[in-house]
Amino acid sequence: MTKITVNGREIDADPKKPLIAACHENGIDVPMYCYHPGLRPVGSCRICQVEVKQGDAPARVVASCRTPVAEGMIVNTDSPKAHDVRRECLEFLLKNHPLDCPICDKAGECDLQDYSFAEGQTKGRTHEPRRKLEKRKSLGDVIVLDEERCILCSRCVRFFEDVTKKPQLTVADLGSRSVISTFLDKPLKGNYQGNIADICPVGALTLKRFRFQARVWNLSKHLSTCAECSRGCSVTAEVLRGGDTKRFRPRFNPKVNQWWMCDTGRFAFAHVNAADRAVALRRTADGLEACDLDAALSAAASALRGKSNVAVVLSPFATNEEAAAAKALAARLGAKTCFVSPAPNALKDDFLHTGDPCPNRRGLTDLGFAGLAAAEVAGAIAGAGAVVLAGERVVELLGAERVAALTGTRVVLFDTHCVDAAALDACIGVPVHVEKDGHWTNVEGHLGRLTIARGAPRGVRALDENLKRLSELVSPAGAKA
Amino acid sequence: MVIVRRKELSLRERLYLPEIARGLSITFRKLFEKPITRQYPEEPLPKDEVTRGQPRLVVKDDGNIACVSCGMCEIACPAYAITIDGGETDRPIEREPKKFEIDMLRCILCGFCEEACPKDAIFMSDELELADYSRAALIYDLEKLKRPKSALQKRIDYVYRLNNRWRKSSSTS
Ligand code: SF4
Ligand code: SF4
Ligand code: SF4
Ligand code: FES
Repeated sequence: MTKITVNGREIDADPKKPLIAACHENGIDVPMYCYHPGLRPVGSCRICQVEVKQGDAPARVVASCRTPVAEGMIVNTDSPKAHDVRRECLEFLLKNHPLDCPICDKAGECDLQDYSFAEGQTKGRTHEPRRKLEKRKSLGDVIVLDEERCILCSRCVRFFEDVTKKPQLTVADLGSRSVISTFLDKPLKGNYQGNIADICPVGALTLKRFRFQARVWNLSKHLSTCAECSRGCSVTAEVLRGGDTKRFRPRFNPKVNQWWMCDTGRFAFAHVNAADRAVALRRTADGLEACDLDAALSAAASALRGKSNVAVVLSPFATNEEAAAAKALAARLGAKTCFVSPAPNALKDDFLHTGDPCPNRRGLTDLGFAGLAAAEVAGAIAGAGAVVLAGERVVELLGAERVAALTGTRVVLFDTHCVDAAALDACIGVPVHVEKDGHWTNVEGHLGRLTIARGAPRGVRALDENLKRLSELVSPAGAKA
Repeated sequence: MVIVRRKELSLRERLYLPEIARGLSITFRKLFEKPITRQYPEEPLPKDEVTRGQPRLVVKDDGNIACVSCGMCEIACPAYAITIDGGETDRPIEREPKKFEIDMLRCILCGFCEEACPKDAIFMSDELELADYSRAALIYDLEKLKRPKSALQKRIDYVYRLNNRWRKSSSTS
């Protein structure tokens, strides 16, 4: 560790990292555009300049992202000189900026806005017309580039060079005519394109699937974990006015996904935003009818009571907490347990995606649930007296036709949507993964946290709570089954 | 504690009738003066550009809405009356509101939205009357809020005159 002094405070700096990282890690704000902790520093934007004094030499202004720390360095991020150079730098960056913040998706989380507010000057001094460039250039299926807004920080270029190691972007042309471009104007490829919209410090790169859908200050942001593969990238679920989830964005986690996530996970909204959620239904003489939760639970309990050969089948999206409750229920019923294990998909790559679309395989396996393919589950439950299917999307993954084909087996279902099956006695709604608290264990054993990003539909309670109540109803504690 | 003593009445006041006669004479005199009240619904209030009626959205002369759904009015509104959902359009401006609702029961006619708008897209009209049979009908949507620019021109000119000095000194584009 190297000792340096920043703004009068002595701090320990990692000699392998640039000065700016030492400042950030110690809570001292230094603006940056081209520097990103996950990318190779290039020092092209000059917004990170600070005043540094070393030894007897007079203080000079340096770009902190390209300056290695040295023992005894005295740094001042707040000196008039440092503010002055940063203000000048901003004036140049804004000289050709279109200032179309009212229509820009980045407004509200834009580094150019934030630092102009903090350090910039309030008046422009330019009289020349601003540069006119292409404003809606498609870079493939995921990204749109606005050339006018780009400040040529080259973060997007370096993302493909340093992180996915497959260069796809470059700075084309020279000087004031420079623009970001793909090679030969081919569309971008790969499953990680969305990340460049996150790291673009301005609104030059926007996501086609998010464009103009919401202003970012209207989104409430909550810790979550990606549900699309067993890597379980740490993400933020961003919800618009308590309704639809509009974005998943990667959340820095040094052990799992660093700053990144794949596009499959980023755009996995179809299920979390699905409409027409089931709340509580039970079978009566005239078929399934909606009822309240208590009635549905007692219908479920009477379907299970006294049955021999019972099975509890979990969805691969069940959290560890839900699995523990399901295990307790299975113990009371003397039931077999397993979870539906979806087949590996072709998305596996050598970066993040594991190709296993089961976010909690490790956690469920550790708790003693066996992962069976849908057909195997169907075979295992074929002759059962009753079966409990529990967890979001369990019917979808098992196959609705397999549930409909069950005869002689009574079914109790906990799922987001009901299924039309003669064997179904009760259906109780469950929250989707952005509506519950819990944990998933990822492929390497790290716990991924889920928090409540929005309320579940009215009347829907947590699955573990319902499973516990069902255990009580089936065989009250203390009574002999 | 303060003890307030009533004024002693004079003999004339205690006699009662002279005072009644004095009061009636005032009433009688007022009958022939010009009334200062107004028969409101039949005789509408005079309106001019200073009137801050309900906010309305400008439809430009080319038939397109001026609003880009930036959400500035939504966030400025102290009554949380405005809800906007944006979306993409093929017009060069790229962005337009897909849903724009003002809950007129919440709106306090403060004019903050007009002041916040960077696109001159929302202005206070001179429409003041508000009545309906349900609350839902008073949540105005895009169709109910759109007004041709000409209908709002007086107010637009007024706001420009008012803000002229500020606009001149701080314009960036
Ligand atoms: S598009 Fe964004 S990330 Fe790429 S160079 Fe321009 S400003 Fe930087
Ligand atoms: S006039 Fe005031 S209260 Fe009414 S919508 Fe505008 S900002 Fe909101
Ligand atoms: S401030 Fe103006 S442009 Fe922005 S959403 Fe409101 S009316 Fe539309
Ligand atoms: S952040 Fe240091 S030069 Fe850009």
